[in-house]
Amino acid sequence: MTTQLQFDEKQRKAITQCSRCGFCRAVCPIFDLTKRPITNARGKMILMKEVIEGKLPVTEGVAQALLRCTTCMNCTVTCPSGADPQEVIKAARKDMVGMGFDNLFKKMGEVVEKYGNIYGEEERHDWGHKRAGARYVLFVGCVGTYREEESVQESIRLLDLLKVDFTMIDEVCCSGVMEDVGYKIKEDLARQNVRELQKTGAKTLITTCPYCYRVFKEHPSYKTLGLEVKHITQFLKDLDFGVKTNKKVTYHDPCDLGRHAGIYDEPREIIRKIAPNFLEPRRTRENAMCCGSGGGLRGSFPEDSIEISRNRLSQIIEETGAEILLTECPSCLHNFRNAKLRKQKIEIYNITEFIGQLHQERQKDGAA
Amino acid sequence: MNIEGYEFPEGLYYDKNHFWARVEGDLVVMGMSDYAQKMAGSIVYVGLPPEGKKLVQGKNFTKIESGKWLGKVFAVVSGELAAVNEELEKKAKLINEDCYGKGWLFKIKPDNLDELKNLMTDPAVIQEWLKAEIAEHGKK
Repeated sequence: MTTQLQFDEKQRKAITQCSRCGFCRAVCPIFDLTKRPITNARGKMILMKEVIEGKLPVTEGVAQALLRCTTCMNCTVTCPSGADPQEVIKAARKDMVGMGFDNLFKKMGEVVEKYGNIYGEEERHDWGHKRAGARYVLFVGCVGTYREEESVQESIRLLDLLKVDFTMIDEVCCSGVMEDVGYKIKEDLARQNVRELQKTGAKTLITTCPYCYRVFKEHPSYKTLGLEVKHITQFLKDLDFGVKTNKKVTYHDPCDLGRHAGIYDEPREIIRKIAPNFLEPRRTRENAMCCGSGGGLRGSFPEDSIEISRNRLSQIIEETGAEILLTECPSCLHNFRNAKLRKQKIEIYNITEFIGQLHQERQKDGAA
Repeated sequence: MNIEGYEFPEGLYYDKNHFWARVEGDLVVMGMSDYAQKMAGSIVYVGLPPEGKKLVQGKNFTKIESGKWLGKVFAVVSGELAAVNEELEKKAKLINEDCYGKGWLFKIKPDNLDELKNLMTDPAVIQEWLKAEIAEHGKK
């Protein structure tokens, strides 16, 4: 067991790179909520500097402070010194697990291993979409499957309506999230996913979850996959949907899709096809505020996570006056739906789910 | 009455989905049992549907969620949703703090109060049922 943060040269450099200017305070969702200096990137960088210089011991308090980060990267894109605090924070979390501060997510690791999903759900909905020889394979991830099932169902219905030749597998958690909370990816689960995905013979993997997209695309455990990996917005952007809405529509950039994966234009190309009254929030694209669900925050501090989502939702409503909020991330969708107050009349959907609903409405109008 | 550490006040009706009911004027108030709230852990969200929604006894009509658990809420009687506990919107943990009081969930205008006969009121029956539930699902 280690007794100190084992930062490498790059991470130590990142800590000294931080000029303590505090620009990150304006964009940090945790600081926005707590107003406590220790909770934003600047505070955490100072904390880690003190630790590596031996001025401060690693305590449960330090561990808890470093867990309060959604890894949204808004501080990274804002930092005038070019530091990437979330990478340093994730490295520190790994070291803290090595030092024995592992009580919070150890259980989640065990659950993922035992049940193949982050929630410990024993029964998995069978989408019934197993087709031999399909060109595409669709992967929906844990949050969609176990928390936003109706949304996934609509996305599947849309792909069927668009006559997309796709299949699905008995998927298990991509388990990339373990890397964000101080642990390692579950290699057995990664191998199982790779095996099942390859067995389909599909050429392209489509993910609805931007986090799964990143893991399949970037993590070494999936490097043997041999399939082209696309987020569903990249796949759908060139298609025509044949439906439109006149409602005022806005879009929230998920951190995993935007800042982490650089996918900003594709969702907008889709939305412009179906919603002429599309309005951007003021804080948008790389400056979009986080919904509060990432980096393990929803699991470790669920009340804070939902409160952050409530703040972001209020911002969006205030800035756009939109009737419909679209996103394309099951975690953002789930957090926003949990956060929405009854007095807020805005409706919240994943893009694919919303297009599926527009199709349904058109069918009903046609039948009437 | 206390059953293996869980409070089950007498005079309430209990269903086998772990919800309680009590008559208040011409409405039926419902909430979550002490066993259920303890098993769920810290509750962070309850779906609060619009008033007027039609409910059917034993059918689920909304969701309830703790940090790592998602459950369904089942109607204790058939009828129309008359009121929701709006305090829960920002403070769902009231269910953990006071599940038979401030943490109530919904008020229903019942179609037929006779449906309460389908629920458990006899302490001996409740005790036997809960012990079987504990044997199957454990304790927290």
